[in-house]
Amino acid sequence: MIGNFLDQFWSLTFGGLSLGFIYILIALGYTMVYGVLRMINFANSEVFMIATFATVIIIRDVYNFTQTSEYATGFKLWLILGTALLASMAVAGILSVLIELIAYRRLRRMNSGVLAPLISAIGVSMVLAETMRILTDSRPVASPRAMEKKFIGKFFDADIRLDNTIIIVAAIILLTLLLAFVNRTRLGKAIRAVSMNPNASKLMGINIDGVVSITFLVGGLMTGAAGFFYVLKYENSSFSIGFELGIAAFTAAILGGIGNIKGAFYGGLSLGLLETYASFFLGTQWKAVTVFTILVVVLYTKPNGLFGEALTQTRA
Amino acid sequence: MKKLRLTSVAAAAALAAASLVAYAPASNAAAKTITLAFQGPLTGEEAQVGQDELAGMQYAIKLFNAKNKGKYVVKVVQADDQGDPAQAAKVAPGIASNNKIIGLVGAAYSGATIASLPFYKQRLLPMISPSATRVSITDPASPGGALGLPVFHRVVVTDRVQGPSLFKLATKGVASPKVFVVDDQSAYGVGLVDYMKPGIPAGQSAGFDSVSDKTTDWSATVSKIKTAGANVVIYTGYFPQAAVFFKQLRDSGYTGILAGGDGVLSPSFVTLAPASVLEGVRLTAGTVPLADISTKLEADFKKKMGKASGVYAAESIDAANIFLSCIAKGVSTRAAMLSCVKAFKGKSLTGAALAFDANGDVAGGAMNGFEVRGGAIKFTGPVK
Repeated sequence: MIGNFLDQFWSLTFGGLSLGFIYILIALGYTMVYGVLRMINFANSEVFMIATFATVIIIRDVYNFTQTSEYATGFKLWLILGTALLASMAVAGILSVLIELIAYRRLRRMNSGVLAPLISAIGVSMVLAETMRILTDSRPVASPRAMEKKFIGKFFDADIRLDNTIIIVAAIILLTLLLAFVNRTRLGKAIRAVSMNPNASKLMGINIDGVVSITFLVGGLMTGAAGFFYVLKYENSSFSIGFELGIAAFTAAILGGIGNIKGAFYGGLSLGLLETYASFFLGTQWKAVTVFTILVVVLYTKPNGLFGEALTQTRA
Repeated sequence: MKKLRLTSVAAAAALAAASLVAYAPASNAAAKTITLAFQGPLTGEEAQVGQDELAGMQYAIKLFNAKNKGKYVVKVVQADDQGDPAQAAKVAPGIASNNKIIGLVGAAYSGATIASLPFYKQRLLPMISPSATRVSITDPASPGGALGLPVFHRVVVTDRVQGPSLFKLATKGVASPKVFVVDDQSAYGVGLVDYMKPGIPAGQSAGFDSVSDKTTDWSATVSKIKTAGANVVIYTGYFPQAAVFFKQLRDSGYTGILAGGDGVLSPSFVTLAPASVLEGVRLTAGTVPLADISTKLEADFKKKMGKASGVYAAESIDAANIFLSCIAKGVSTRAAMLSCVKAFKGKSLTGAALAFDANGDVAGGAMNGFEVRGGAIKFTGPVK
């Protein structure tokens, strides 16, 4: 078994890493909002789900790909991928802002405590998932393949596949941009200030509602990118994937320390790799057991997660 | 109080409306109205399977009603179990207690069949399933005897036949097969593997894996298959997962044979993965497409039903025809229907002899092979 594992180590690792980056981006949707508002935006999982459908629609309906189409190449391919990525990010970002406006803002103004927004979030999540279930007739929806999944090189014994590479590289670029935004811009500073002390920020003239909207927008953009990467990697979607991936990403956020960008990063990567290795060693049926046992053990020793600190302290 | 009265008025109105509908066809004097039922997934993820079977049943009834104009009017009550045992247990009591219904085509799925059986056995409602293939329903050796006795019958052969046939088809023409079998942890998938295992020759097995149908990332299973050096991979589960699994396996560079059972044989299967990935996938099922029985039959079906026939259309027509032949003999009660079905001897659409053994299984019956070619599922003849 160990010998087999070593044979497959790098190919498992690449698969686990690209899955991990998808988790990181969704986890950011949870963590950004938590950092600023101290609330769990459960609807983030469904924002992800809707973003995957946005990608499918772009590839299938806007660019008219079918399962028997020729793969796109060259400029056309990058144009298609670029449109799908931007569309998914835009849809998810706008949806996130709307969810905050409709479901949370009034509750926050009325100082409703923590429970009402939580239920409101679960409610929004249900509405989105069930609407999608009705629209898709509960069926899984496939995204036709626009890009050939070719091997672009070898690393030790492992084939390096184009889609996994695109996901890892693009996710690293997005994360760098996000860190630059949070740490180096005025708006980023405002987000950190509100996260640290909302009342003091208000007294300093920061528009809290504006900062909250921006936070939801940024979290949504990241989650939307995850939706695109998910479809690029797995080429399918369904009304129920929000729940499945959302739980995993939420776990990653907690594992790393919620409210913390660095935490989302390490939490997501660890979870992606752990799931992949555990499935190989113990069989896929043991994946959840292994992952959650490790989560419990980690939280037992570090209750705030691996990097349990505030968003304010993330300086890359 | 006021509210209560309103509801009872509404209920009375609904009843009146319902009876109006029920008696409407009876206006052509002597025609006798007989009611049959269909049970299967009509909504939800598996809806296409149920809708296709229902269309088959309705096609048979359309022909029958046209032929027996003025004598009989056969109607269908639709029971939607979504292919889910929990849902089946909710709809079955209503069907069982509706005494107008004297025969049921279904249930489409084995799990749903088993969940419904207690209700149908209690009220002795005769059933003929076009597609429930789980062995235990008719197996006298299963704990407590054959579950389906005395009401259950089926016109499709069981997984006991399908398991070995699937292995045979998957390894056909392979010089030294190394077979890796993956099930989906469902009763259907695990059962199929159990019936396949004893027939796997020594040295031909490369390994087994059992993967939840909620899985989206198959990289661990893919790695195991590559480590095992398998050149034949069989998946016993349903089409949505099969498409995703086969896609990830092919994308990892696997070039061997891919195969699956009747759970994968769905028209939707080929819409879920690129044609180049699914090219050559081998499938088994106890069904024959109408178009392969006769192109004239398929054309007539399309004309009358407004859509092409689907999987298990032939079996659904066969199942309905057995009930209809009994109705033509004057059967109008459940008891008479049950003994008529048990004594039935006739021919299926394919021309094969059709009759049931003491446990409700179809006597004879073949397992057929299919292959994906150019993004479509093609019939390749019986598995020999």
